[in-house]
Amino acid sequence: MSDQQPYEPKIVAFLCKWCSSAGSDLAGVSRIQYPANATPITVPCTGAVSPMYIMSAFNKGADGVLVSGCHIGDCHYLEGNYLARRKMYLIMKLLEFIGVEQNRFRMSWVSAAEGAKFAQVITDFVGDLRPLGPQDKLKRAEIK
Amino acid sequence: MINLKDIRETARDMLAKGEARAVIGYRRGSRGMLAEPAFLTKPEEADELVWDPTCFHNLSLYLVHDRKHLAHAGKNSGGAPVAIIAKGCDARSIVVLMQEHYFKREDVYIIGVSCEGTGVVDERKLATHLNGVQASNAAFDGDDFVFTTAEGEKRIPAREVMADRCLECRSPYPKEHNLVFGEDKTGRQLEAPFAALDRFEAQGAGERWENWARHFDRCIRCFACRSVCPMCYCDECVVDSITFPVTTETTADEKASRIRWIERSAARSENITYLMTRAMHLAGRCTDCGECDRACPVNVPIRLLNNKMEKEAREQFGFEPGASIGGPSLVASFLDKDPGEFIR
Ligand code: SF4
Ligand code: SF4
Ligand code: SF4
Ligand code: FES
Repeated sequence: MSDQQPYEPKIVAFLCKWCSSAGSDLAGVSRIQYPANATPITVPCTGAVSPMYIMSAFNKGADGVLVSGCHIGDCHYLEGNYLARRKMYLIMKLLEFIGVEQNRFRMSWVSAAEGAKFAQVITDFVGDLRPLGPQDKLKRAEIK
Repeated sequence: MINLKDIRETARDMLAKGEARAVIGYRRGSRGMLAEPAFLTKPEEADELVWDPTCFHNLSLYLVHDRKHLAHAGKNSGGAPVAIIAKGCDARSIVVLMQEHYFKREDVYIIGVSCEGTGVVDERKLATHLNGVQASNAAFDGDDFVFTTAEGEKRIPAREVMADRCLECRSPYPKEHNLVFGEDKTGRQLEAPFAALDRFEAQGAGERWENWARHFDRCIRCFACRSVCPMCYCDECVVDSITFPVTTETTADEKASRIRWIERSAARSENITYLMTRAMHLAGRCTDCGECDRACPVNVPIRLLNNKMEKEAREQFGFEPGASIGGPSLVASFLDKDPGEFIR
């Protein structure tokens, strides 16, 4: 392979099973075109996403991390996304604090009916990550 | 002004009457002027107790140790509480421990000590100030600290050598107590809350990263910051695979399937994951007792990370760590008005 290949941001996307994961499926079955940069990891609920998952994704080489779940009021477990909103706010602030680019971490609400929105979230994220180049601040040195 | 005699008498009395199983306090240590933690069980030991500006340890750590020892020995506490000398920040961490049901209110007898107009000394600031001269004793005196040195008595305005956290302390008084010594000077304003944090945050993202990259590089993952923290009480620490229990019954399969979130090598990336995870785990629980920052052998400014969380919690969620035993936990509660504009 040539090393002239353009940089493709790698996104790790934590998607809640009940909304955003279903939303990403819908984007697929609806044949909506969007960049293939995101590796989805289905979680039961955004409330189950530990900040450690995010640190770990960056540590293992993610250029961007997305956490996406049900809209406020729609969480399958009623309050999981309220709890996530707080926790994710805190980790986002901490990342910013140590000087990690703001655009590397993102959160969204995407329902099972919002295939088009899911495609848009990923498209925007890839667009915002591209100018930042590879993430190497938090990445383990041996990871290529 | 606190009279040491009163503290000693209280300890002696409680031990003599069997009102306390033990008294945790401070005694003169073997390292120069510095106080060290003391565990008293006999009334006659009460005269060893000291109270001076080097009493910086957060002794509530030893309440945690006590519970662990009891649990490991399969014993319960046997009625009488443990009495403990606690400053404002220490008492707040005792509150957090009770909030988390680590022990009950009746298990501990809080002998509160107010920091009044001052606080505790920062050894690094003092060393710079004394310029190589060794001090053999430290004492409170109003707004000053008085040090005994080979060159005679040195009186220094406390604010010049006090720990940053004490300068910025919003409540230098143990609100939760059974008994308290010293005046409540809550509201004294030596420096604005979060002053050191604000100075750091005034820099751009690039500069902040330059700074943190160097700090994270220095960490040797000795885990002193974790060991010294009363809130880091987990038997199994998620960031440290060595704490995962292994018994003769643990199968190779079980060992292999445990998630090793972080490598044990003290590389920058692993240090970051450790320190950031720790800061998140302490959000809403850290009472800024400053012990982790003080214990770090390589001057990683851990306090800034904790302070960042504390400030966000206060400004965005109206949350104060250690405010009340029955209060909610920061990350297990929410408000409808929590910020959400950052979410797409
Ligand atoms: S932080 Fe406050 S309560 Fe704690 S030692 Fe300093 S002045 Fe006292
Ligand atoms: S931050 Fe300091 S005290 Fe904590 S593990 Fe690293 S070197 Fe040790
Ligand atoms: S994190 Fe540090 S400052 Fe906070 S309670 Fe623990 S030892 Fe004290
Ligand atoms: S189930 Fe989707 S956020 Fe809770």
